[in-house]
Amino acid sequence: MKIRRIALLLAAAAVLEFLVAGSRYRALWPVDWFLLATAAVARSGDFVRAVLTGAIAGFAEDAISQPMLGVNAFAKALLGFVLTLVSVRIAFGGALAVGAALGVASLANEAIVALLSALLAQSPIVLISREAIWRAVVTGITGGALEAAWNFGWRDWWKRRRLRRLR
Amino acid sequence: MRAPNPHVEVAAVNPRRGAVVLMVVLLSCVLILSAQAPGRGGRGATLLQSWILTASAPVTTAVGAVSHGVSGRIASTIDLFTARTENDKLRHDLDERDKELFRLRAELKQRGEARRLEAEGSALPGVVGSVPVLLLERRAGVYSVLVGAGSAEGVVPSSPLAVPQGIVGRVVAVGRNVSRAQLLLDASAAAGARIARTGELGVIRGDGRGALTLNNIATTSSVARGDLVESAGIDGIYPRGVPIGRVESVARGSKLFLEVRVTPLADFARLTDVLLLAPSPAARENPEITKGGR
Repeated sequence: MKIRRIALLLAAAAVLEFLVAGSRYRALWPVDWFLLATAAVARSGDFVRAVLTGAIAGFAEDAISQPMLGVNAFAKALLGFVLTLVSVRIAFGGALAVGAALGVASLANEAIVALLSALLAQSPIVLISREAIWRAVVTGITGGALEAAWNFGWRDWWKRRRLRRLR
Repeated sequence: MRAPNPHVEVAAVNPRRGAVVLMVVLLSCVLILSAQAPGRGGRGATLLQSWILTASAPVTTAVGAVSHGVSGRIASTIDLFTARTENDKLRHDLDERDKELFRLRAELKQRGEARRLEAEGSALPGVVGSVPVLLLERRAGVYSVLVGAGSAEGVVPSSPLAVPQGIVGRVVAVGRNVSRAQLLLDASAAAGARIARTGELGVIRGDGRGALTLNNIATTSSVARGDLVESAGIDGIYPRGVPIGRVESVARGSKLFLEVRVTPLADFARLTDVLLLAPSPAARENPEITKGGR
Protein backbone atom coordinates (compact mmCIF):
# COMPACT_ATOMS: atom_id res chain seq x y z
CA MET A 1 0.00 0.00 0.00
CA LYS A 2 1.32 3.42 -0.97
CA ILE A 3 2.34 5.89 1.72
CA ARG A 4 -0.12 8.50 0.46
CA ARG A 5 -2.95 6.01 0.81
CA ILE A 6 -1.82 5.10 4.33
CA ALA A 7 -1.74 8.81 5.28
CA LEU A 8 -5.26 9.19 3.86
CA LEU A 9 -6.43 6.15 5.85
CA LEU A 10 -4.99 7.56 9.08
CA ALA A 11 -6.50 10.99 8.46
CA ALA A 12 -9.88 9.40 7.73
CA ALA A 13 -9.60 7.32 10.91
CA ALA A 14 -8.81 10.43 12.99
CA VAL A 15 -11.74 12.36 11.49
CA LEU A 16 -14.15 9.44 12.02
CA GLU A 17 -12.87 8.97 15.58
CA PHE A 18 -13.70 12.61 16.36
CA LEU A 19 -16.99 12.60 14.47
CA VAL A 20 -18.27 9.57 16.37
CA ALA A 21 -16.66 10.10 19.76
CA GLY A 22 -17.52 13.81 19.79
CA SER A 23 -21.20 13.25 19.14
CA ARG A 24 -23.84 12.33 21.70
CA TYR A 25 -24.37 8.99 19.91
CA ARG A 26 -20.84 7.79 20.67
CA ALA A 27 -22.00 4.88 22.82
CA LEU A 28 -24.12 3.42 20.00
CA TRP A 29 -21.30 2.57 17.58
CA PRO A 30 -17.87 3.05 19.23
CA VAL A 31 -15.72 1.69 16.41
CA ASP A 32 -11.93 1.60 16.85
CA TRP A 33 -11.21 3.41 13.56
CA PHE A 34 -7.45 3.48 14.17
CA LEU A 35 -7.43 -0.31 14.49
CA LEU A 36 -9.36 -0.61 11.22
CA ALA A 37 -6.77 1.63 9.50
CA THR A 38 -3.96 -0.54 10.87
CA ALA A 39 -5.77 -3.70 9.77
CA ALA A 40 -6.31 -2.29 6.26
CA VAL A 41 -2.55 -1.78 5.89
CA ALA A 42 -1.84 -5.18 7.45
CA ARG A 43 -4.17 -6.74 4.84
CA SER A 44 -1.74 -5.67 2.10
CA GLY A 45 0.91 -7.93 3.66
CA ASP A 46 3.63 -5.32 4.27
CA PHE A 47 4.96 -5.99 7.78
CA VAL A 48 7.03 -2.81 8.07
CA ARG A 49 4.24 -0.47 6.98
CA ALA A 50 1.65 -2.27 9.11
CA VAL A 51 3.84 -1.92 12.23
CA LEU A 52 4.61 1.74 11.53
CA THR A 53 0.97 2.53 10.72
CA GLY A 54 -0.08 0.85 13.96
CA ALA A 55 2.48 2.86 15.91
CA ILE A 56 1.45 6.20 14.34
CA ALA A 57 -2.27 5.45 14.78
CA GLY A 58 -1.63 4.45 18.39
CA PHE A 59 0.34 7.62 19.10
CA ALA A 60 -2.46 9.71 17.59
CA GLU A 61 -4.95 7.91 19.82
CA ASP A 62 -2.72 8.34 22.89
CA ALA A 63 -2.25 12.04 22.19
CA ILE A 64 -5.97 12.74 22.19
CA SER A 65 -7.27 10.41 24.83
CA GLN A 66 -4.74 8.50 26.89
CA PRO A 67 -2.96 9.66 30.04
CA MET A 68 0.29 7.95 28.94
CA LEU A 69 1.80 8.38 25.49
CA GLY A 70 2.77 5.08 23.90
CA VAL A 71 0.37 2.50 25.33
CA ASN A 72 -1.88 2.34 22.27
CA ALA A 73 1.16 2.77 20.00
CA PHE A 74 2.69 -0.34 21.61
CA ALA A 75 -0.54 -2.30 21.30
CA LYS A 76 -1.36 -1.28 17.74
CA ALA A 77 2.20 -1.81 16.43
CA LEU A 78 2.10 -5.32 17.86
CA LEU A 79 -1.36 -5.93 16.43
CA GLY A 80 -0.23 -4.56 13.05
CA PHE A 81 2.47 -7.23 12.96
CA VAL A 82 0.17 -10.02 14.14
CA LEU A 83 -2.62 -9.07 11.72
CA THR A 84 -0.11 -9.02 8.82
CA LEU A 85 1.15 -12.42 9.90
CA VAL A 86 -2.41 -13.76 9.99
CA SER A 87 -3.16 -12.17 6.63
CA VAL A 88 -0.06 -13.61 4.95
CA ARG A 89 0.39 -17.01 6.56
CA ILE A 90 -3.11 -18.28 7.21
CA ALA A 91 -5.67 -19.07 4.51
CA PHE A 92 -7.81 -16.20 5.53
CA GLY A 93 -10.57 -14.16 3.98
CA GLY A 94 -14.24 -13.34 3.89
CA ALA A 95 -16.17 -10.79 5.85
CA LEU A 96 -16.89 -13.14 8.77
CA ALA A 97 -13.26 -14.15 9.31
CA VAL A 98 -12.03 -10.57 9.00
CA GLY A 99 -14.74 -9.35 11.37
CA ALA A 100 -13.90 -12.03 13.94
CA ALA A 101 -10.16 -11.29 13.70
CA LEU A 102 -10.81 -7.58 14.19
CA GLY A 103 -13.05 -8.25 17.17
CA VAL A 104 -10.35 -10.34 18.80
CA ALA A 105 -7.73 -7.71 17.90
CA SER A 106 -9.85 -4.99 19.54
CA LEU A 107 -10.11 -7.03 22.75
CA ALA A 108 -6.36 -7.72 22.63
CA ASN A 109 -5.70 -3.98 22.18
CA GLU A 110 -7.85 -3.31 25.24
CA ALA A 111 -6.03 -5.95 27.30
CA ILE A 112 -2.56 -4.70 26.32
CA VAL A 113 -3.49 -1.09 27.17
CA ALA A 114 -4.93 -2.20 30.52
CA LEU A 115 -1.84 -4.25 31.36
CA LEU A 116 0.60 -1.49 30.38
CA SER A 117 -1.40 1.12 32.33
CA ALA A 118 -1.43 -1.16 35.37
CA LEU A 119 2.30 -1.85 35.11
CA LEU A 120 3.49 1.68 34.44
CA ALA A 121 0.88 3.97 36.01
CA GLN A 122 -0.10 1.63 38.84
CA SER A 123 -3.70 2.11 37.82
CA PRO A 124 -6.34 -0.51 38.72
CA ILE A 125 -6.53 -3.15 36.03
CA VAL A 126 -9.76 -3.36 34.02
CA LEU A 127 -9.16 -6.13 31.50
CA ILE A 128 -12.56 -6.79 30.01
CA SER A 129 -15.57 -4.54 30.45
CA ARG A 130 -19.00 -4.46 28.80
CA GLU A 131 -17.87 -1.43 26.79
CA ALA A 132 -14.74 -3.22 25.59
CA ILE A 133 -16.83 -6.16 24.38
CA TRP A 134 -19.29 -3.87 22.62
CA ARG A 135 -16.41 -1.95 21.00
CA ALA A 136 -14.92 -5.27 19.81
CA VAL A 137 -18.27 -6.38 18.40
CA VAL A 138 -18.92 -3.16 16.48
CA THR A 139 -15.31 -2.94 15.28
CA GLY A 140 -15.62 -6.52 14.00
CA ILE A 141 -18.98 -5.84 12.32
CA THR A 142 -17.73 -2.63 10.71
CA GLY A 143 -14.49 -4.29 9.55
CA GLY A 144 -16.41 -7.27 8.17
CA ALA A 145 -18.85 -4.98 6.36
CA LEU A 146 -16.00 -2.95 4.85
CA GLU A 147 -14.27 -6.17 3.74
CA ALA A 148 -17.50 -7.43 2.15
CA ALA A 149 -18.04 -4.07 0.42
CA TRP A 150 -14.42 -4.05 -0.81
CA ASN A 151 -14.71 -7.54 -2.34
CA PHE A 152 -18.19 -7.08 -3.78
CA GLY A 153 -18.36 -7.00 -7.58
CA TRP A 154 -19.85 -3.55 -7.82
CA ARG A 155 -19.16 -3.25 -11.57
CA ASP A 156 -20.99 -6.50 -12.42
CA TRP A 157 -23.81 -5.60 -10.10
CA TRP A 158 -24.19 -2.20 -11.78
CA LYS A 159 -24.12 -3.78 -15.26
CA ARG A 160 -26.74 -6.35 -14.31
CA ARG A 161 -28.89 -3.63 -12.79
CA ARG A 162 -28.70 -1.56 -15.95
CA LEU A 163 -29.52 -4.56 -18.15
CA ARG A 164 -32.52 -5.38 -15.98
CA ARG A 165 -33.76 -1.82 -16.35
CA LEU A 166 -33.33 -1.87 -20.14
CA ARG A 167 -35.41 -5.04 -20.40
CA MET B 1 4.71 -20.57 1.63
CA ARG B 2 2.20 -19.10 -0.81
CA ALA B 3 0.36 -16.03 0.30
CA PRO B 4 -3.31 -17.03 0.25
CA ASN B 5 -4.68 -13.52 0.63
CA PRO B 6 -5.37 -11.88 -2.78
CA HIS B 7 -4.74 -8.40 -1.32
CA VAL B 8 -1.21 -9.28 -0.32
CA GLU B 9 1.49 -7.58 -2.36
CA VAL B 10 3.98 -10.47 -2.55
CA ALA B 11 7.03 -8.23 -3.06
CA ALA B 12 6.31 -6.42 0.18
CA VAL B 13 6.14 -9.56 2.36
CA ASN B 14 9.24 -9.56 4.54
CA PRO B 15 8.47 -10.79 8.04
CA ARG B 16 12.09 -10.60 9.24
CA ARG B 17 12.40 -6.90 8.42
CA GLY B 18 8.96 -6.36 9.89
CA ALA B 19 10.01 -8.10 13.10
CA VAL B 20 13.08 -5.85 13.39
CA VAL B 21 10.94 -2.72 12.88
CA LEU B 22 8.42 -4.08 15.40
CA MET B 23 11.17 -4.58 17.99
CA VAL B 24 12.46 -1.03 17.42
CA VAL B 25 8.94 0.44 17.69
CA LEU B 26 8.08 -1.56 20.81
CA LEU B 27 11.38 -0.64 22.43
CA SER B 28 10.78 3.05 21.63
CA CYS B 29 7.29 2.81 23.12
CA VAL B 30 8.66 1.19 26.28
CA LEU B 31 11.28 3.94 26.59
CA ILE B 32 8.69 6.69 26.12
CA LEU B 33 6.36 4.98 28.60
CA SER B 34 9.14 4.51 31.14
CA ALA B 35 9.93 8.22 30.94
CA GLN B 36 6.32 8.97 31.84
CA ALA B 37 6.02 6.48 34.70
CA PRO B 38 5.14 8.20 37.99
CA GLY B 39 8.11 9.61 39.85
CA ARG B 40 10.41 9.58 36.86
CA GLY B 41 9.93 12.76 34.91
CA GLY B 42 6.15 12.87 34.68
CA ARG B 43 6.54 16.63 34.22
CA GLY B 44 8.14 16.19 30.78
CA ALA B 45 5.33 13.97 29.66
CA THR B 46 2.73 16.49 30.80
CA LEU B 47 4.55 19.22 28.89
CA LEU B 48 4.72 16.99 25.80
CA GLN B 49 1.03 16.22 26.04
CA SER B 50 0.30 19.90 26.52
CA TRP B 51 2.22 20.70 23.31
CA ILE B 52 0.43 17.95 21.42
CA LEU B 53 -2.94 19.20 22.62
CA THR B 54 -2.05 22.75 21.57
CA ALA B 55 -0.79 21.63 18.16
CA SER B 56 -3.84 19.50 17.47
CA ALA B 57 -6.31 22.11 18.75
CA PRO B 58 -7.33 23.59 15.34
CA VAL B 59 -8.11 20.16 13.88
CA THR B 60 -9.82 18.79 16.97
CA THR B 61 -11.90 21.93 17.42
CA ALA B 62 -12.95 21.98 13.75
CA VAL B 63 -13.88 18.29 13.66
CA GLY B 64 -15.56 18.61 17.06
CA ALA B 65 -17.66 21.49 15.76
CA VAL B 66 -18.68 19.41 12.72
CA SER B 67 -19.51 16.49 15.01
CA HIS B 68 -21.63 18.73 17.25
CA GLY B 69 -23.34 20.15 14.19
CA VAL B 70 -24.10 16.68 12.82
CA SER B 71 -25.43 15.39 16.14
CA GLY B 72 -27.46 18.59 16.51
CA ARG B 73 -28.98 17.92 13.11
CA ILE B 74 -29.67 14.27 14.00
CA ALA B 75 -31.38 15.40 17.21
CA SER B 76 -33.38 17.91 15.21
CA THR B 77 -34.35 15.19 12.73
CA ILE B 78 -35.55 12.96 15.55
CA ASP B 79 -37.56 15.88 16.99
CA LEU B 80 -38.96 16.54 13.55
CA PHE B 81 -40.18 12.97 13.05
CA THR B 82 -41.80 12.87 16.49
CA ALA B 83 -43.56 16.15 15.91
CA ARG B 84 -44.66 15.12 12.42
CA THR B 85 -47.04 12.42 13.67
CA GLU B 86 -48.77 14.91 15.96
CA ASN B 87 -48.87 17.89 13.64
CA ASP B 88 -49.18 16.33 10.22
CA LYS B 89 -51.80 18.66 8.84
CA LEU B 90 -50.22 21.79 10.23
CA ARG B 91 -46.80 20.73 9.02
CA HIS B 92 -48.13 20.33 5.50
CA ASP B 93 -49.31 23.96 5.50
CA LEU B 94 -46.09 25.25 6.95
CA ASP B 95 -43.70 23.05 5.01
CA GLU B 96 -41.57 25.86 3.63
CA ARG B 97 -41.24 27.53 6.98
CA ASP B 98 -40.41 24.23 8.65
CA LYS B 99 -37.48 23.68 6.31
CA GLU B 100 -36.09 27.06 7.25
CA LEU B 101 -36.78 26.35 10.92
CA PHE B 102 -35.02 22.98 10.68
CA ARG B 103 -31.89 24.60 9.32
CA LEU B 104 -31.91 27.36 11.91
CA ARG B 105 -32.69 24.93 14.73
CA ALA B 106 -29.59 22.90 13.97
CA GLU B 107 -27.44 26.00 14.05
CA LEU B 108 -28.98 27.42 17.20
CA LYS B 109 -29.17 24.11 19.08
CA GLN B 110 -25.55 24.28 20.11
CA ARG B 111 -25.76 27.86 21.35
CA GLY B 112 -29.01 27.18 23.18
CA GLU B 113 -27.53 24.08 24.80
CA ALA B 114 -24.64 26.09 26.23
CA ARG B 115 -26.95 28.83 27.57
CA ARG B 116 -29.33 26.30 29.12
CA LEU B 117 -26.45 24.52 30.79
CA GLU B 118 -25.14 27.74 32.31
CA ALA B 119 -28.62 28.72 33.56
CA GLU B 120 -29.24 25.29 35.10
CA GLY B 121 -25.80 25.23 36.64
CA SER B 122 -26.19 28.59 38.38
CA ALA B 123 -26.65 26.70 41.66
CA LEU B 124 -23.14 25.24 41.34
CA PRO B 125 -20.31 27.14 43.02
CA GLY B 126 -17.81 29.12 40.91
CA VAL B 127 -19.11 28.39 37.41
CA VAL B 128 -16.63 29.86 34.92
CA GLY B 129 -18.58 28.91 31.79
CA SER B 130 -19.69 26.03 29.62
CA VAL B 131 -17.31 24.13 27.36
CA PRO B 132 -18.11 21.64 24.59
CA VAL B 133 -17.08 17.99 24.88
CA LEU B 134 -15.12 17.12 21.75
CA LEU B 135 -14.40 13.46 22.48
CA LEU B 136 -15.15 10.93 25.18
CA GLU B 137 -12.88 7.92 25.52
CA ARG B 138 -13.72 4.85 27.56
CA ARG B 139 -11.01 2.24 27.37
CA ALA B 140 -9.46 -0.21 29.83
CA GLY B 141 -10.81 1.62 32.85
CA VAL B 142 -9.75 5.01 31.52
CA TYR B 143 -12.61 7.49 31.26
CA SER B 144 -11.42 10.74 29.74
CA VAL B 145 -12.89 13.61 27.75
CA LEU B 146 -11.35 16.17 25.46
CA VAL B 147 -12.98 19.56 26.00
CA GLY B 148 -12.86 22.54 23.68
CA ALA B 149 -11.28 25.02 26.07
CA GLY B 150 -7.71 25.50 27.18
CA SER B 151 -5.35 27.91 28.85
CA ALA B 152 -6.56 30.70 26.53
CA GLU B 153 -10.02 30.35 28.09
CA GLY B 154 -8.65 30.26 31.64
CA VAL B 155 -8.58 26.49 32.13
CA VAL B 156 -5.94 25.33 34.59
CA PRO B 157 -5.04 21.79 35.68
CA SER B 158 -7.47 20.42 38.29
CA SER B 159 -10.32 22.71 37.23
CA PRO B 160 -13.44 20.72 38.18
CA LEU B 161 -16.02 19.92 35.51
CA ALA B 162 -19.71 19.45 36.25
CA VAL B 163 -23.16 19.33 34.75
CA PRO B 164 -26.24 20.68 36.57
CA GLN B 165 -26.92 17.16 37.89
CA GLY B 166 -23.49 16.76 39.49
CA ILE B 167 -19.74 16.47 39.27
CA VAL B 168 -18.24 15.01 36.09
CA GLY B 169 -14.47 15.09 36.62
CA ARG B 170 -11.44 17.35 36.52
CA VAL B 171 -8.98 18.72 33.99
CA VAL B 172 -5.61 16.93 33.97
CA ALA B 173 -3.80 18.24 30.87
CA VAL B 174 -4.21 21.70 29.40
CA GLY B 175 -3.42 22.82 25.87
CA ARG B 176 -3.97 26.30 24.46
CA ASN B 177 -7.51 25.70 23.20
CA VAL B 178 -8.14 22.07 24.14
CA SER B 179 -7.80 20.21 27.44
CA ARG B 180 -8.08 16.64 28.61
CA ALA B 181 -10.09 15.77 31.69
CA GLN B 182 -10.31 12.67 33.83
CA LEU B 183 -13.88 11.62 34.55
CA LEU B 184 -14.96 10.53 38.01
CA LEU B 185 -15.75 7.07 36.58
CA ASP B 186 -12.05 6.52 35.72
CA ALA B 187 -10.51 3.62 37.64
CA SER B 188 -7.90 6.00 39.07
CA ALA B 189 -10.23 8.89 39.92
CA ALA B 190 -11.13 9.71 43.51
CA ALA B 191 -12.80 12.56 45.37
CA GLY B 192 -13.63 13.43 48.95
CA ALA B 193 -17.34 12.80 49.48
CA ARG B 194 -19.95 13.02 52.23
CA ILE B 195 -23.33 11.45 52.70
CA ALA B 196 -25.69 14.45 52.74
CA ARG B 197 -28.15 12.94 55.28
CA THR B 198 -25.69 11.64 57.88
CA GLY B 199 -22.73 13.93 57.19
CA GLU B 200 -20.25 11.05 57.16
CA LEU B 201 -17.11 11.53 55.12
CA GLY B 202 -15.57 9.02 52.72
CA VAL B 203 -13.65 8.71 49.49
CA ILE B 204 -15.58 8.11 46.29
CA ARG B 205 -13.79 6.23 43.53
CA GLY B 206 -14.58 5.25 39.96
CA ASP B 207 -14.54 1.52 39.33
CA GLY B 208 -13.57 1.87 35.65
CA ARG B 209 -16.80 0.16 34.63
CA GLY B 210 -19.26 3.05 34.82
CA ALA B 211 -20.11 3.03 38.54
CA LEU B 212 -18.75 4.59 41.72
CA THR B 213 -17.87 3.16 45.11
CA LEU B 214 -17.86 5.09 48.37
CA ASN B 215 -15.06 3.89 50.64
CA ASN B 216 -14.14 4.46 54.27
CA ILE B 217 -17.71 4.44 55.61
CA ALA B 218 -17.76 2.68 58.99
CA THR B 219 -20.01 -0.34 59.53
CA THR B 220 -21.80 1.61 62.28
CA SER B 221 -23.10 4.08 59.68
CA SER B 222 -26.83 4.34 58.99
CA VAL B 223 -26.31 4.98 55.28
CA ALA B 224 -29.21 3.65 53.23
CA ARG B 225 -30.16 3.12 49.61
CA GLY B 226 -31.17 6.39 47.92
CA ASP B 227 -29.03 8.65 50.14
CA LEU B 228 -27.50 11.59 48.28
CA VAL B 229 -23.70 11.64 48.09
CA GLU B 230 -22.09 15.04 47.51
CA SER B 231 -18.56 16.41 47.35
CA ALA B 232 -17.02 17.10 50.75
CA GLY B 233 -14.53 19.76 49.66
CA ILE B 234 -11.74 18.02 51.56
CA ASP B 235 -9.64 16.91 48.60
CA GLY B 236 -8.46 20.36 47.54
CA ILE B 237 -9.94 19.87 44.07
CA TYR B 238 -13.74 19.74 44.10
CA PRO B 239 -15.88 22.41 45.81
CA ARG B 240 -18.08 21.37 48.71
CA GLY B 241 -21.74 20.43 48.36
CA VAL B 242 -21.93 19.51 44.67
CA PRO B 243 -24.05 16.36 44.13
CA ILE B 244 -22.20 13.25 42.93
CA GLY B 245 -24.70 10.40 43.02
CA ARG B 246 -27.18 8.34 45.01
CA VAL B 247 -26.44 5.25 47.05
CA GLU B 248 -27.43 2.20 45.03
CA SER B 249 -26.54 -0.56 47.48
CA VAL B 250 -24.89 -1.03 50.86
CA ALA B 251 -23.10 -4.24 51.75
CA ARG B 252 -21.07 -5.28 54.76
CA GLY B 253 -17.43 -5.23 53.71
CA SER B 254 -14.75 -7.62 54.81
CA LYS B 255 -13.37 -5.48 57.64
CA LEU B 256 -14.28 -2.21 59.32
CA PHE B 257 -15.94 -0.47 56.39
CA LEU B 258 -19.12 -0.83 54.40
CA GLU B 259 -19.13 -1.44 50.67
CA VAL B 260 -21.27 1.36 49.31
CA ARG B 261 -22.05 1.47 45.59
CA VAL B 262 -23.14 4.80 44.18
CA THR B 263 -24.95 5.55 40.92
CA PRO B 264 -23.68 8.83 39.43
CA LEU B 265 -26.30 11.54 38.89
CA ALA B 266 -24.62 12.87 35.75
CA ASP B 267 -25.35 11.00 32.50
CA PHE B 268 -21.76 10.36 31.40
CA ALA B 269 -22.75 8.63 28.16
CA ARG B 270 -24.52 11.69 26.79
CA LEU B 271 -22.17 14.53 27.72
CA THR B 272 -22.17 17.21 25.05
CA ASP B 273 -21.34 20.33 27.06
CA VAL B 274 -19.99 20.63 30.59
CA LEU B 275 -19.63 23.46 33.08
CA LEU B 276 -16.13 24.54 34.00
CA LEU B 277 -15.85 25.38 37.69
CA ALA B 278 -13.21 27.61 39.23
CA PRO B 279 -10.30 25.58 40.62
CA SER B 280 -10.05 25.28 44.35
CA PRO B 281 -7.60 27.74 46.02
CA ALA B 282 -5.69 24.70 47.36
CA ALA B 283 -5.12 23.41 43.82
CA ARG B 284 -3.79 26.83 42.75
CA GLU B 285 -1.46 27.12 45.72
CA ASN B 286 -0.24 23.53 45.68
CA PRO B 287 0.75 22.43 42.14
CA GLU B 288 1.37 18.87 43.42
CA ILE B 289 -2.41 18.35 43.59
CA THR B 290 -2.71 19.08 39.88
CA LYS B 291 -0.31 16.26 39.07
CA GLY B 292 -2.47 13.64 40.72
CA GLY B 293 -4.34 12.65 37.54
CA ARG B 294 -3.14 9.79 35.38
